Amino acid sequence: MLYLELLFQGIVQGSIYALIALGLTLVYGLLRILHVAHAALFTLGGYVGVIVTNATGSFTLAMVVAMITVGLIGVLTYKLAYEPLLDKPPFIALIASIALFIAAEEVFRIVFGPYGLSYAQPPLQGGFEIINGFFLKYAEALVICISVVMLLLLGWFSAYTRLGVSWRATVTDPDMARAFGVNIQNVRYLNFFVGSALAAVAGVLVALLNNLVEPTMGSVASYKALAIIVLGGLGSIRGTLIASMALGVIESFGTIYIGHLLDRDALAFGFLIIVLMVRPQGLLGSK
Amino acid sequence: MAYEITLLTTMSISVLFALSLNFITGFCGQISLGHAAFMGVGAYTAAIMMKASVSLLVAIPVAAVFAGALGLLVGFASLRVRHDFLAITTMGVVFLFVGVVRQQEFLGGEVGISGIQRSELGRTGFLLLCISLAALFAGFSLLVKRSWLGFVFDSIADNEDVSRVIGIDVAKYKLFAFVVGTAAAGVAGALYAQHFRYVGPDSFGFVESISVLAMVVVGGIGSVWGVMFAAAVLSVLPLLIQFVDDYKILVYSALLFSMMRFAPDGLAGIVNRSMNRIKGRSS
Amino acid sequence: MTPVLEVKDVTVRFGGVIAVDKASVSIEAGELIGFVGPNGAGKTTLMRVITGIVKPQQGSVTLEGKDLTGLSINQRVRAGLALAQQIVQPLRGMTVLNNVALACGTAKTANPFKAIKSFDKRAERATALALLTRVGLQDVADNEPSKLPLGYLKRLEVARALALKPRLLLLDEPLAGLNQSEASSLADLIKTLNHDGLSILLIEHNLREVMRVCPKVYVQDLGKSLAFGEAKKIMSRPDVIAAYLGKG
Repeated sequence: MLYLELLFQGIVQGSIYALIALGLTLVYGLLRILHVAHAALFTLGGYVGVIVTNATGSFTLAMVVAMITVGLIGVLTYKLAYEPLLDKPPFIALIASIALFIAAEEVFRIVFGPYGLSYAQPPLQGGFEIINGFFLKYAEALVICISVVMLLLLGWFSAYTRLGVSWRATVTDPDMARAFGVNIQNVRYLNFFVGSALAAVAGVLVALLNNLVEPTMGSVASYKALAIIVLGGLGSIRGTLIASMALGVIESFGTIYIGHLLDRDALAFGFLIIVLMVRPQGLLGSK
Repeated sequence: MAYEITLLTTMSISVLFALSLNFITGFCGQISLGHAAFMGVGAYTAAIMMKASVSLLVAIPVAAVFAGALGLLVGFASLRVRHDFLAITTMGVVFLFVGVVRQQEFLGGEVGISGIQRSELGRTGFLLLCISLAALFAGFSLLVKRSWLGFVFDSIADNEDVSRVIGIDVAKYKLFAFVVGTAAAGVAGALYAQHFRYVGPDSFGFVESISVLAMVVVGGIGSVWGVMFAAAVLSVLPLLIQFVDDYKILVYSALLFSMMRFAPDGLAGIVNRSMNRIKGRSS
Repeated sequence: MTPVLEVKDVTVRFGGVIAVDKASVSIEAGELIGFVGPNGAGKTTLMRVITGIVKPQQGSVTLEGKDLTGLSINQRVRAGLALAQQIVQPLRGMTVLNNVALACGTAKTANPFKAIKSFDKRAERATALALLTRVGLQDVADNEPSKLPLGYLKRLEVARALALKPRLLLLDEPLAGLNQSEASSLADLIKTLNHDGLSILLIEHNLREVMRVCPKVYVQDLGKSLAFGEAKKIMSRPDVIAAYLGKG
């Protein structure tokens, strides 16, 4: 029973990781930038979600508003922060991104207050019994469902729409895509919009799980998501999904069984280092 | 006077720490997002020794050896993984370090080690020690830059594969850079332990690793003078901008961002460009 | 007499595919040999076996009688093998002169402890300038490589390889990407270097130039040694022509 519970917790956490890390991997695949500030967009998503829900009473509306606002701010981030740095050494963009992330955390603290916000009437309370004695919260079930739906949508979009195909082509081979007349600039905008919108979804969901959104909500995500995309093989979407789930499950079992030796983060990074020493290109990376 | 001494001590420890990262990242081109871990190893080593009434002057070299040994290990890792993979691996090292330290009773766990005795040098003596060690390493760095070692480092930072094609044993050079850089960080850690007379797991985490990388990048990656200046200023900047109080971190991060956005080659780059402009005008 | 380079019965398999099948070639001191073959002949793979990037399942590579098996590329370079790569890779952060000067300093760069004790770069810079003059790059010695056209960078690759004072110079498609006049002037340079006593293995697609400058050629097709000998004779052999024309 404990195993099942830990497994489900791992999957819930893994789904959140996946939603966050996916945007990061898209950015990396296209621009080779470790986009730390992505985690700030995740937090922002949480804030928009709580504020809109509290103002209108509709959680669904809040989700949509969060995706659109955060998606647009993601595009803006690219335009103002990264675009001018593309031809510079990669650590320049990395540090700029870290600075941006710290600044954003401060802005959240100053604007929304240091103690965070909660849902006035938290939606989706309670849970249901899966098998005797084992309950899954509605919120947790929603996290898993939404992640699956988002990923399927993303898969459909990239495989069956014209825009999606040119997007994938650009990620695989930008020069070739350009030769075929793909507008690289638009693809980049799209990339940031989609990636940031997914982070916003994760933010709204985490705010729901904890019934709290605070300025530092993204700090774990900022570095853990980097670990995940590296673990997955940098730029590999499938690798990112596998790594997210693996890390979610390993953390959930690890904290119970070897938590007295290593804390959650150390566990994740210990796993990361071991994998990289065996496979320096990540789980699904190509050499 | 005491305040000035504290300020100067903080500055010189930061200068040494930043130069130690500059040796690895600036000279040899190996990015590290976990450099605080090595300072931490040095600091904890020295803290335990000083608690056992060992002199600071004995603790310093031991701290260097311990930090350098871990550095050698991470250096070996750097031979397996490259670029962004290396960056995240080094980030993993610092989380692993903090995670391990937190759970060890003999390292003080969450609360850390406090009540470290003052060294026999006295405050001024200790300040002079810090300044001389920082100056020593700065001199060493300048020497390396002029030597063939610096020449080889330039090529490795530029392109490892090409370095191999001209007969350079890249692995040896990388390990050398890691050992020297991390040992120096260990020394900075020992000084830190004496200066604050306290070490804890939160003093040597990811944030500290990023701060020191920021010093190197703001100074101008690889530039000894630039890095020294940036480290001296940035280490006390939070104190100097006390007047903005609640907006301190915001101002700091905004400055850092603007620097990357508008002058990515750092202070050294700004100085070089203006020098060239002056030269261009006069000739 | 021991050949400068001897490749013996080298076989490389990638998964189930045989890329190189029992290939053998040897170069005597002072020879200039053109290494040709149609696309997919396994030229690049064999080249990588010689430099040590690909490990063969069978066979050996010896340089002046010294077995190179298990040595890394930098060790092979120090044993006397120099390489000018097909895709030019200058060190972009330093001047053309320093690119070559660094390669001139192999004695000083053997390990970090030697390197940290050496400061004087004058002798190496002088040698580097002489080498640049030899390949016709003396005028751009102080330029940064990023601003130079491909033809110059190809010559820089050659100068940097010469700086290593090699026993054997390995040229990987040096003429690729050059126009006809650039290509033939670089081919002339290769010929001159050989006249001055350097042993050269020239891997090249441009048959016309190979035929013009190389007295002997080695032909590889489908991973196998097809022919080896005097250029004119070999290239008139029906099986060689067939391999090039893709008959059958």
